[in-house]
Amino acid sequence: MSRILRRLTAPLLLLGTLMLASGAANAHPHVWITATSELVYAADGSLTGVRHAWTFDDMFAAYALQGIETKTKGVYTREELAPLAQTNAESLKEYAYFTFARADGKKEKFVDPVDYYLDYKDTHLTLHFTLPLKAPVKPKQLMLEVFDASFFIDFAFADKDPVTLVGAPASCAMKFQRPNDGTANAQKLGEQMFASSDGSNYGAMFANKITVDCP
Amino acid sequence: MKSALVSGPQRRLLVGIAAILAFVAFDGAVQALLAQTPFGGPRPAPEPQVGGIVGWLLARQSEFYLEISSTIRRAKSDGSAVWTLLAISFAYGVFHAAGPGHGKAVISSYLVANQETARRGIALSFASALLQALVAIAIVGIGAFLLNVTAKTMCGAERAIEIASYGLIAAFGARLVWTKGGGFIKALQAAPVGAVAVAGHSHDHGHHHHHDHGAGAHHHDHDHVHDEHCGHSHGPEPGELAGPGGWRRGLAAVLTVGVRPCSGAILVLVFALAQGLFWAGIAATLLMGVGTAITVATIAVIAVSAKDLAARLSRGREGSGALIMRGIEFAAAGLVLLLGAGLLFGYVAAERATCL
Repeated sequence: MSRILRRLTAPLLLLGTLMLASGAANAHPHVWITATSELVYAADGSLTGVRHAWTFDDMFAAYALQGIETKTKGVYTREELAPLAQTNAESLKEYAYFTFARADGKKEKFVDPVDYYLDYKDTHLTLHFTLPLKAPVKPKQLMLEVFDASFFIDFAFADKDPVTLVGAPASCAMKFQRPNDGTANAQKLGEQMFASSDGSNYGAMFANKITVDCP
Repeated sequence: MKSALVSGPQRRLLVGIAAILAFVAFDGAVQALLAQTPFGGPRPAPEPQVGGIVGWLLARQSEFYLEISSTIRRAKSDGSAVWTLLAISFAYGVFHAAGPGHGKAVISSYLVANQETARRGIALSFASALLQALVAIAIVGIGAFLLNVTAKTMCGAERAIEIASYGLIAAFGARLVWTKGGGFIKALQAAPVGAVAVAGHSHDHGHHHHHDHGAGAHHHDHDHVHDEHCGHSHGPEPGELAGPGGWRRGLAAVLTVGVRPCSGAILVLVFALAQGLFWAGIAATLLMGVGTAITVATIAVIAVSAKDLAARLSRGREGSGALIMRGIEFAAAGLVLLLGAGLLFGYVAAERATCL
């Protein structure tokens, strides 16, 4: 009887493995963003907000630009892209702009973005926007993370000047940490996810971490 | 009664494995709903990461997906790149379908709920994957190519189709539950008599205990179930639902799964259109469908085989064997219903932000 049991167990386990795999392998980004960010400081040395510039991959750019009327084919002016920029700014609210700040460990909130616009140069579509903090903060340590928890979007910061401080006190030191390579992370990630069995914060593994220490 | 094929504890182990499988399939599908799409793009399907192999799968998917766009670009000047495009699209389909949750789960559950053959499982997998590709092509073909609508509009259409598709899955599951529930209740009614008469006290304690637990729990409300059953109009017999001639039912499975397009395919199609190579996008989408179908069919065949084995295993037990089989079918039907309801509910909860 154990022979029959074994014969039944093998396919069930195989099925189980496949289903587990099926539950997991699905997560891969559909949008790739190359980002640069500026941390904007007020004269008194407090952080007022974050200014992002996010350049989309060409596949998503083509999708986003679909159906937009232009005077000249293939040339998109800032005005022609204004409605799309507005849509983006509004849609992003639901995702907290993929930007998460902590001032001395305390979560800080952002308000609706300002000065948002899209530009299109050399087939690159870039969304610019400024996220003001609800209230300016002046922490000893500021942590800023940029990522998509669902990993629908892959955020990679630009190679050159990924993060800059604008008007920060001279004593402040900035550290920028890129996420590890996705494949290398998968193993560690797998264990964590398996333990929590909750994939909702999956993309946190791919977070870009900015730390600013102002002693 | 002759020798039992599996003892109580062993069977419980199998039941446990089956329950975990059901949960994992459902959980995976629900996870898919947790994320929404920013920028008015198509909906994502994020899910938890599980292991090293999966991490590798994931990396391959991203690679293939990224290569699709660069290959389409290359195909503009170099015709031979189209062959590369087709190969990559096919591979992407295979890898991606090792992923997209609910389609596989619905097809496999449908096959398990009904006495379907592996061959039909393969046919249904291919039909639904083809339909999925055609829907994506239709959305982009009509929306972008003919009407030149914006991404916002196209995504709205996609969303409407999606809601309809989840509703269809829930309705389909409800119908399966309704029909399979009849068979299950019948088996429940028959089981206690059969088990007592055939098994008596000759069984080992472990099994006896297990059996009592299962049958006894239901025995409690046996009378109620009976009344209810008689009060309702009778669903078709399990026998009627099984076997050939069920193509209309099969069609329902194909429609519920295939009507929802893959968001990746839509992005590829729009990109190909923007590059002036719409036909290449269509070919790529169809090849993705073929790749998807192969993976889904493999899983469907495994599901059917597992059920066949379960059937062979339970054949030794007269009353309880039928109860197990009807129970498995009922559970599979319930899974489709839960899946549909979960998708629908999760989606509605996430709806506001999805695409604007």
